[in-house]
Amino acid sequence: MRRISAYFFSLILFLKACSLLAQDTVLFPLKLRAGIDIAGPGIYLSDKNNLSVEGYISFDKSEKMALVLEAGYLNYIYSQYNYDYTSKGAFVRFGTDFNLLKPEVSVGKYWAGIGLRYGVSLFNSETPSFQYENYWGTVISSLPSKKAMGHFIEVAPGVKTEIFRNFSIGWTIRLKLLISGGGGKDLRPIYFPGYGNGGRRTTAGISYFLTWNIPYKTKTVITKPEAIEEEPDETSEQTIGSNF
Amino acid sequence: MKKAGSCLLVLVAVVFFSVLKSCAPEACFEETNAYLKATFYSNSSKEKETPDSLTVTGLGITDKIYDREQGVQPALFPLDSSNDTSVFIVRINDIIDTIQFIYSSYPHLISKECGYTFFHTLDTFHTTKDIFYIYRNSNNITTANEENIRIFF
Repeated sequence: MRRISAYFFSLILFLKACSLLAQDTVLFPLKLRAGIDIAGPGIYLSDKNNLSVEGYISFDKSEKMALVLEAGYLNYIYSQYNYDYTSKGAFVRFGTDFNLLKPEVSVGKYWAGIGLRYGVSLFNSETPSFQYENYWGTVISSLPSKKAMGHFIEVAPGVKTEIFRNFSIGWTIRLKLLISGGGGKDLRPIYFPGYGNGGRRTTAGISYFLTWNIPYKTKTVITKPEAIEEEPDETSEQTIGSNF
Repeated sequence: MKKAGSCLLVLVAVVFFSVLKSCAPEACFEETNAYLKATFYSNSSKEKETPDSLTVTGLGITDKIYDREQGVQPALFPLDSSNDTSVFIVRINDIIDTIQFIYSSYPHLISKECGYTFFHTLDTFHTTKDIFYIYRNSNNITTANEENIRIFF
């Protein structure tokens, strides 16, 4: 009885091993990533009134999904014929990235996909002067510095590619939907960190990241599951037989 | 996979142009003045009636807001944001009276392109001769197309 059970156990192991050999697999390195955005400083070179710096860290949960935390700082100054405005503060976004590439294409080096984010922004906004003109004449006034908190969500499609060992570049486009800009319905922020134009329900932005990758684990990913042989359908045979 | 790639390319193109558009400076096309909106009614029939002639002047101002104008319905009264009172001399057909509006003002952002305006909350109003009967409909004086008062003449 003992010998029979040993043979039976060995047979199960053998069958299991055979089924593994029939599958295609790829060794996929799961990584920690840390990156900085160079689009913001790039824009600052041409517009000294708009300083935006941001970076991110991400953690691969699987070959398809990564958890992401982004943070940044904005110092924004704007002026036009009837008002001056400043906004200064920090923001965080957190969410997930989904890789649309197959593991055998991606191999941990390439990423093309879509990210989902929830963003929170803490900032001070101030209108040092604004001018209003009507039938009675011109009124010049100001709005003092005020702390506010903004909330938004993002859909962020993009691409990344590893150009050197553990070093990637890539861009992300950001489609943002405002949940709340702070400041109430009358004094919405004109511009706030992480989101942009607070007067608009939706905005778009772009980030260009330089990323350092740290592999922390290698995962064996099954890319082609074992084909299951179909047994002949007895009922259909019987049906065919009965016709003759 | 190819389908996902195509979708991504289309999305990238759409967003690229959105980003370009959002970077370009835009002009202000919105209403920037919050007027007190008054609709005219007949005192006898109580039906809406457009005056044959309307003249409105702010007290202390030489320029007229309406100068013997016909077909004005509703009339738009601009309020003085630096004061909590605005007084208007109103002449409807050949009847003249003075209307005083008392209100509070607060700043409101129209948009990044247009900047700020003042909205008002109507507190009360008075007429000097009580020739016109005024009915209050809404206290909120904004850029929205909402009737604030009805003037029966």
